[in-house]
Amino acid sequence: MANITKKVSWSSRGDEPAPAGEGTPLLNGAGGAARSYSRQVTAGDVDSTGSQPFFFIFFPLEIPHNEKLLSLKYESLDYDNSENQLFLEEERRMSYMGFRCLEISRWVVCALIGILTGLIACFIDIVVENLAGLKYKVIKENIEKFTEAGGLSISLILWAFLNSVIVMMGAIIVAFFEPIAAGSGIPQIKCYLNGVKIPRVVRLKTLVVKVCGVICSVAGGLAVGKEGPMIHSGAVVAAGVSQGRSTSLKKDFKIFEYFRRDTEKRDFVSAGAAAGVSAAFGAPVGGVLFSLEEGASFWNQMLTWRIFFASMISTFTLNFFLSIYHNKTGELSNPGLINFGRFDSDVSSPAFLHLQGMCGLLGALFNVLNYWLTIFRIRYIHRPCLQVMEAMLVAAVTATVSFAMIYFSDDCQPLGEDQAENYPLQLFCADGEYNSMATAFFNTPERSVRSLFHNPPGSYNPPTLGVFTLTYFFLACWTYGLTVSAGVFIPSLLIGAAWGRLFGIMLAHITPYGSIWADPGKYALIGAAAQLGGIVRMTLSLTVILVEATGNVTYGFPIMLVLMTAKIVGDYFVEGLYDIHIKLQSVPFLHWEAPATSHALTAREVMSSPVTCFNRVEKVGTIVDVLSNTSTNHNGFPVVTRVMDDDEPGKICGLILRSQLIVLLKHKVFVERTRSRLNQRKLQLKDFRDAYPRFPPIQSIHVSQDERECMMDLTEFMNPTPYTVTQETSLPRVFKLFRALGLRHLVVVDSENRVVGLVTRKDLARYHLGKHGLEELQLAQT
Amino acid sequence: LLTFTGSSAMVSLHLVPRLIALLLLLPGRIRSSSPVFNSLLSDLQGDPELEERCRDLLRDFGRRYESYVKCAVPSARPVRICENCHIQFEMLRVVYNNISSDQSEGSGSNRSATFLLRADRLMLVYMLFQNLEDVWDVAHCSQCLSGDGLSNITLRYMAKLNQSLSCFESQKNNHSELCRVCRADYKDLNEFYSIMEKNQTLCIDIEDSMNATRRLWSKDFNCSFPREETVPVIAVSSFMLFLPIIFYLSSFLHSEQKKRRLIHPKRAKSNNSLMNIQDKHS
Repeated sequence: MANITKKVSWSSRGDEPAPAGEGTPLLNGAGGAARSYSRQVTAGDVDSTGSQPFFFIFFPLEIPHNEKLLSLKYESLDYDNSENQLFLEEERRMSYMGFRCLEISRWVVCALIGILTGLIACFIDIVVENLAGLKYKVIKENIEKFTEAGGLSISLILWAFLNSVIVMMGAIIVAFFEPIAAGSGIPQIKCYLNGVKIPRVVRLKTLVVKVCGVICSVAGGLAVGKEGPMIHSGAVVAAGVSQGRSTSLKKDFKIFEYFRRDTEKRDFVSAGAAAGVSAAFGAPVGGVLFSLEEGASFWNQMLTWRIFFASMISTFTLNFFLSIYHNKTGELSNPGLINFGRFDSDVSSPAFLHLQGMCGLLGALFNVLNYWLTIFRIRYIHRPCLQVMEAMLVAAVTATVSFAMIYFSDDCQPLGEDQAENYPLQLFCADGEYNSMATAFFNTPERSVRSLFHNPPGSYNPPTLGVFTLTYFFLACWTYGLTVSAGVFIPSLLIGAAWGRLFGIMLAHITPYGSIWADPGKYALIGAAAQLGGIVRMTLSLTVILVEATGNVTYGFPIMLVLMTAKIVGDYFVEGLYDIHIKLQSVPFLHWEAPATSHALTAREVMSSPVTCFNRVEKVGTIVDVLSNTSTNHNGFPVVTRVMDDDEPGKICGLILRSQLIVLLKHKVFVERTRSRLNQRKLQLKDFRDAYPRFPPIQSIHVSQDERECMMDLTEFMNPTPYTVTQETSLPRVFKLFRALGLRHLVVVDSENRVVGLVTRKDLARYHLGKHGLEELQLAQT
Repeated sequence: LLTFTGSSAMVSLHLVPRLIALLLLLPGRIRSSSPVFNSLLSDLQGDPELEERCRDLLRDFGRRYESYVKCAVPSARPVRICENCHIQFEMLRVVYNNISSDQSEGSGSNRSATFLLRADRLMLVYMLFQNLEDVWDVAHCSQCLSGDGLSNITLRYMAKLNQSLSCFESQKNNHSELCRVCRADYKDLNEFYSIMEKNQTLCIDIEDSMNATRRLWSKDFNCSFPREETVPVIAVSSFMLFLPIIFYLSSFLHSEQKKRRLIHPKRAKSNNSLMNIQDKHS
């Protein structure tokens, strides 16, 4: 180990001002106390794990969790292909037919992704419908009984109890078995498409927990939707199907072996996310655009058509199987989990534009409140049992508030033959009437949205809507971020639809020609779009999703205007909800562009340095020592001509990854062994793929004392042409290269091609434009 | 209350002027249109015998149509159309079926069916009957009828309705007393109605009468359930709302705050240090 990790003494910049742009100080993690220290020679992804006594002495700093951190547990995906000799060999061996088959199997995989995603959506829909139906039936009967006999507080307790129990089951599986399945999953998928490997995010177990969790949380009456989790589910399905095996179940179907690497997997995951959107909203084009908008960092144009194929298949599958379930085979009327119903195309009203003032504000308020709540949750409610308790409490309070609202509402409406109240509650209304507050609260959120869109004018009184909006706003805000798997789309739509409808009713009251603006359902739609846009801040894809969900292109224009305004107004105050959550999870997320004022920063300041390098022919003992050094959990190692004993860096001739080294060690590809045993099978690319994606840890590989003295020839396996930049390259340039090519390591070289540093994702993601100019995020262990 | 009246009443109201107009257009006038035009054409148009048969059928249709409309219009409010007019409608349907299934003598374009129903763009006979049939369908009259009379279940409903109404009648001076005395009858009626609703044996007559009764009960006599448990509901609710406050406070006070250990990045950050490298190399 001694010959690899060296101590180098750097003089610090001390009293010199930082060279960062516009004279703004770079917040240098540790603060002034630790300006002068000796450094460990390191390289690669700065993925340190385990205890680090060295740094502990100098930086005993522990701070409460906040948004300005980068976690060490996230790594990059290896999107960039390693064109080593094995790869070239395999390419030579592959016939023309082989490539054609590969192309065809890509389509087959996409079709499978579509079908499976559609089936999962179908399953969730049916189970939720039945479970919620059962629950509401029980409560309704109970309420009816006690309305007559007295003792309605017992119904209240029953409702709260049922909700809590169902939610408890959902929260327990999430909190104890797979915490990554919490929330909508969209932030995680966004990160994955961005190129960050979130641990366990695309495992089969996550899918199972996600599906069960979302069923529990929706049936448990929380203010949540099942659309966001659908996107995550689609992504997991894609990651699983494309690999042709399940590592969790230890089952290998021996198919699609070529796709076992990050590049292909990520492409399929984007198809899966698109299929998920498409199944959730019945919006295939919106799904493609979602993947494009969220994952556009390194987009393969050839992929678009395949992704669209997967999306179409997914929505069709859902539609087809739901039509069978509803005994209307062939009548394809349920393209998505949420069905907005049909709107007529009369969009004459100019008053839509009035709505825009409000739309961003409410969304921003939602995000700010949720931001503070999430910080509190991360800091104080981090134990699983507390998280389960919190979820149960929210469920109970949701039931209580709903009940109180219904109880004290005086808004009675006549039952209609054609209205869609599934569980009309009469309570204190006259016989033959129902409580209109109950249509909003005593129902699954999807149905409430639909009744707000489509119930004829006069179905809701303005005070009902006002109170409902207010309550639901706080409930939804409180609910998002709980340890249950649930999405935020539907609650946002519901809040927006309620105040949009309220606005429509008001407008009809105050204007002389109320009849033109009579249909409050349209205002509900526009309000829903505005609220959703104000919360999630998606632009193009959200417009298309909503237009597709309404099934009417005429609404495209008002929806687009409203979403634009919502984004502009909202961005003035705070970021979108998903971005907030990504930040709070300390993910090294690369945005579309480098921060605007960062041109003065050069690669020299950004890079990690010095770098752990290997020789072309390296001693096994050295490699094992470097790999098993817990304090420097690096992933990429430049291969240089010769590591000098002094500090002089060697000339670069390649880049090798930790995973490759581990496979080499496992197969004992040592120079001595190849010489002695000529008949030994030559290592192929397949051996690397078989180990993917869970490469064994270095500790599990046994290397004897004799073997430590052997040599290993890396020439054949390293990527001989890694991307390099010179030290003077500006940050935005590095950033563009990184983002456009999906790199994981970028070697910084001097004028003589000698390795001086290595840029990784975390080095770039730590710069961001804050209120006081360019700021730097700190690295932390989470 | 008002179950189904919304839509159904609209349909019937919408149709009433048309029905009245039809009344005025009835049979006697069929032949009295423009004489010059008429006689020549009908003489030239083939088989006089068939012609006569058709005329008979048409006359018959007119008479029955008249009697049905005469029955239906007065039964519009309160709606008793199924109960009062099902016989007339049945007769009308028989004659229409006769027309449309008339197979006798000749085939193709010579049949009465074609001659009366489909010979022109207007297809008046067809349209007239179709309108009435639509009304009949919208009213769901067939659901209350069985054989040639009201179905058993409808009759039972009527009996229960009369029982309730007579109870209302007897107690109408004292509303609180009425609520108490008639509750059993009314509840019985209401439950029976709900069963019928589930079995889809409702027609507009029953819906309308039930609506009226419910309106009497809830609005006029004010016998709905009072909201009298406000205190317990508020108590339970506030207890529930109190729980999260305790939860958050206690986790704030007792739970250990999650701290993150900062790790210092390893990089040559300043120009200064880089200059060191360069110095070394030079």
